[in-house]
Amino acid sequence: MSVDAFITEETIQGADDGPLADRTVAIKDNISTAGVRTTCGSEMLADYVPPYDATVVERLKRAGATLVGKTNMDEFGMGTTTETSAFGPTKNPVDESRVPGGSSGGSAAAVAAGEADVALGSDTGGSVRCPAAFCGVVGIKPTYGLVSRYGLVAYANSLEQIGPLAPTVEGAAEVLDVIAGPDERDATTREAGADADYASAADGDVEGLSIGVPTELIEGADERVIERFEATLDDLRAQGAETHEVSLPSVERAVQAYYVIAMSEASSNLARFDGVRYGPETDADGNWNDSFAQVREEGFGDEVKRRILLGTYALSAGYHDKYYAKAQDARAWLKQDFDEALAEADVLASPTMPVLPFELGESLDDPLQMYLADANTVPVNLANLPAVSVPAGRADGLPVGFQLIGSAFGEREIIRAASAVEN
Amino acid sequence: MTAQALQQRDLAVVIGLEVHVQLETDTKIFCGCSTESADDEAPNTRTCPVCLGLPGALPVLNEAAVEAAVKVGKALDADIAEETRFHRKNYYYPDLPKNFQITQYDAPICADGALEVSVEDDRREIGIGRAHLEEDPGSLQHEGGSIETADHTLVDYNRAGTPLMEIVTEPDFRGPGEVRAFLAKLEEVLEYLGVFDASRDGSLRIDANISLMPADEMADDGSVDEAALEAANRTEVKNISSHKGAEKALAYEVTRQKNAVERGREIEQETRHWDESRGITVSMRSKEEEKDYRYFREADLPPLQVADWKERIPIPELPDARRERFREAYGLDAEAAAKLTSTKEVADFFEDVADRFDAGLAATWVADDLLGELNYRDMTITDVSGRLDEFARLIELVDTDEITEKNAREVVLRTMLDEGHTPEEVVEREGLGKAGDDAVAAAVEAAIEENPDAVEDYHDGEGGALNFLVGQVMSKTGGSADPGTVNGLLRERLDE
Ligand SMILES: [Zn+2]
Repeated sequence: MSVDAFITEETIQGADDGPLADRTVAIKDNISTAGVRTTCGSEMLADYVPPYDATVVERLKRAGATLVGKTNMDEFGMGTTTETSAFGPTKNPVDESRVPGGSSGGSAAAVAAGEADVALGSDTGGSVRCPAAFCGVVGIKPTYGLVSRYGLVAYANSLEQIGPLAPTVEGAAEVLDVIAGPDERDATTREAGADADYASAADGDVEGLSIGVPTELIEGADERVIERFEATLDDLRAQGAETHEVSLPSVERAVQAYYVIAMSEASSNLARFDGVRYGPETDADGNWNDSFAQVREEGFGDEVKRRILLGTYALSAGYHDKYYAKAQDARAWLKQDFDEALAEADVLASPTMPVLPFELGESLDDPLQMYLADANTVPVNLANLPAVSVPAGRADGLPVGFQLIGSAFGEREIIRAASAVEN
Repeated sequence: MTAQALQQRDLAVVIGLEVHVQLETDTKIFCGCSTESADDEAPNTRTCPVCLGLPGALPVLNEAAVEAAVKVGKALDADIAEETRFHRKNYYYPDLPKNFQITQYDAPICADGALEVSVEDDRREIGIGRAHLEEDPGSLQHEGGSIETADHTLVDYNRAGTPLMEIVTEPDFRGPGEVRAFLAKLEEVLEYLGVFDASRDGSLRIDANISLMPADEMADDGSVDEAALEAANRTEVKNISSHKGAEKALAYEVTRQKNAVERGREIEQETRHWDESRGITVSMRSKEEEKDYRYFREADLPPLQVADWKERIPIPELPDARRERFREAYGLDAEAAAKLTSTKEVADFFEDVADRFDAGLAATWVADDLLGELNYRDMTITDVSGRLDEFARLIELVDTDEITEKNAREVVLRTMLDEGHTPEEVVEREGLGKAGDDAVAAAVEAAIEENPDAVEDYHDGEGGALNFLVGQVMSKTGGSADPGTVNGLLRERLDE
């Protein structure tokens, strides 16, 4: 039975050979595909067909991959469950009464259900790692600047990266090898890490690896999650890794800072959807402001409207300093805290999600509960660092994700550690 | 200040400008699309995902635009920022592809500059508060009427992404004439820098802020108290597109506002639109609340370090300095120096020919003959950019005495301009080459042979005889002989 992982199922054939020649890839529907509609899970873009390929899509095609479709997602990436999609929810293949996580829920579900070998998602505050954890697959959020965002429809452009999802760490790393590296069309990409051969790092060798465990990211998590997390740490220690506690005092501000920044950027990034070129036909009369408002009223869902309104507010004169500027300060402190913690450890570890997958419908009425579930993932985006979520067994039959966070462009370390978790 | 209070006092005019200049670069500021618009270009063809603001497209800074901005900063004697930093200016307008404009906010590329202008005989220094880079929006076409009455509006994004520099002056102007002089000077400087093409449609757009203030609130040195300026009701005049238009629009505004004050009416704080064809300003919207643009950093554009660009990027000699140098180096008077530096192209051409041939000859030929004939035909030097070589060769023909000055001016130059021929072609066709030595010698012999009476008169010491003989030789050679040479040859032969 289908888990409704796809918004559009369409095969796009890549080059005849290449490193991904035998692989099928599902693409999150906020990544532009020339000639194939790219909806971002929104009514606003229900008919939008990009005239160009995202850089990552070009690279996948050149690597011989076969693209099999565009996957469901929370509208414009705004959600943790894939339920805010205008195209209806996706079910968790592990337990169809549960959400697959989000916002790249369709990509994770497609991989977990075997409907694609691997997938691309995008991670603004956990949107690759959360669904990877909930669906029991591997998801990598690369260092900001490792993977080109050209063609990724922006939600919060200072925070997000495109990242792979796959059944195994090595599988995800193989995709990362294809998509990583500088792109002259994305000025925020860097040379660093371009030719790192990530797949070869998945050797499971953690002998002597130093793992810092931020106490703040354990507190408050579901006990069943903590139990799986501790068992995984035991296992890594048994393989020769060393663990110790570290502290990230500023993470207590991370969720607030994250939402202020993400919503502020979103209010600007989504401004272009005004009915001139995108969006539903409306019967608005009056001036163009009335018409813009009507299109946005009809084209955006509630969560998107909520975030645009809050973001607009946070950037407004008189509030900018109180919210946006403060959030930027918090972001700077958080980066410092991570730098210090990573000076004492090769990688950091935490549960990916502090909770088990929600029941379908459970969190929709309580946005705050949904926002707080991002507590362990958003700090990574604020600090521009790489992280991976790798399955750490199940609790009550539901997948638990184990998160490893690395230094900037330290993808090889987290891939190596994550592959040991698979052992 | 109430209308009554203003009515009883002498009024001074205070004007500040925001000048939008399109910078001349090959490609747009954030994408690879050309900035060159063809005359018959179809709408929305010179575009790409970036300048269309398509979802997912990202801006990449064109360093040539930054270079041009640094040149402008140097010419305006401004401080150059250490790094570029861009912000988003958020507002909804149908010509904005993304409903935000990428611009500079807290760290403009240029700050604290000045430009000196001459107004009549007065030198005035106009302060430049800041000058920053931004992207041009698209353009709107209101179908079947004006913005108010059109049935619908079409959007053309061809212009979107053209690099703009917004130059913001201090409120240093005390009248429309100063504004005109400043803008003309600014255009001249920008043109010299090679970053501006005045002939391009929409290359210069001016918004002017104008306030009337009680004259006694102005300091003796003409400076204006900021608080007093804040207190005065300010009118913003938009849609001005030339220095001449600026003078007209502001003169209209000064009169309108002074009339209002005389009649005891309040001057509203408002935005007015300059209607060039009707020669009036029209109220656009009154007392609109202060716009909140929700500026924040554009994360897609990492800062570009430009700390050493000011040293690294040379700018050409600017018009004032060049005028001075021309006067000294070539002994020109003020008028000739001004003419010969009116554009960089003229000055470069003059300097080239002045250094190769006689400087005085070059000055006359470029300033009077070439520019005069061009002007007579409503042309400028840019219309003959590709033929400067030919004009240099014409001057060379005169300089080396191969044709007479009179023929060069009255026949060759005019034919070149009217018919597009090279100087050599005209000389050949019209047979204007100075007669060869043999031909002149033969003519001299013939003239002596045919006019024994004149020869006798010459030997008798009658001055008119020689002139008569010269005239005979000249007529025999069709005017192509040099009269001085003929004179010499005749004397030589007669005195034997
Ligand atoms: Zn373009």
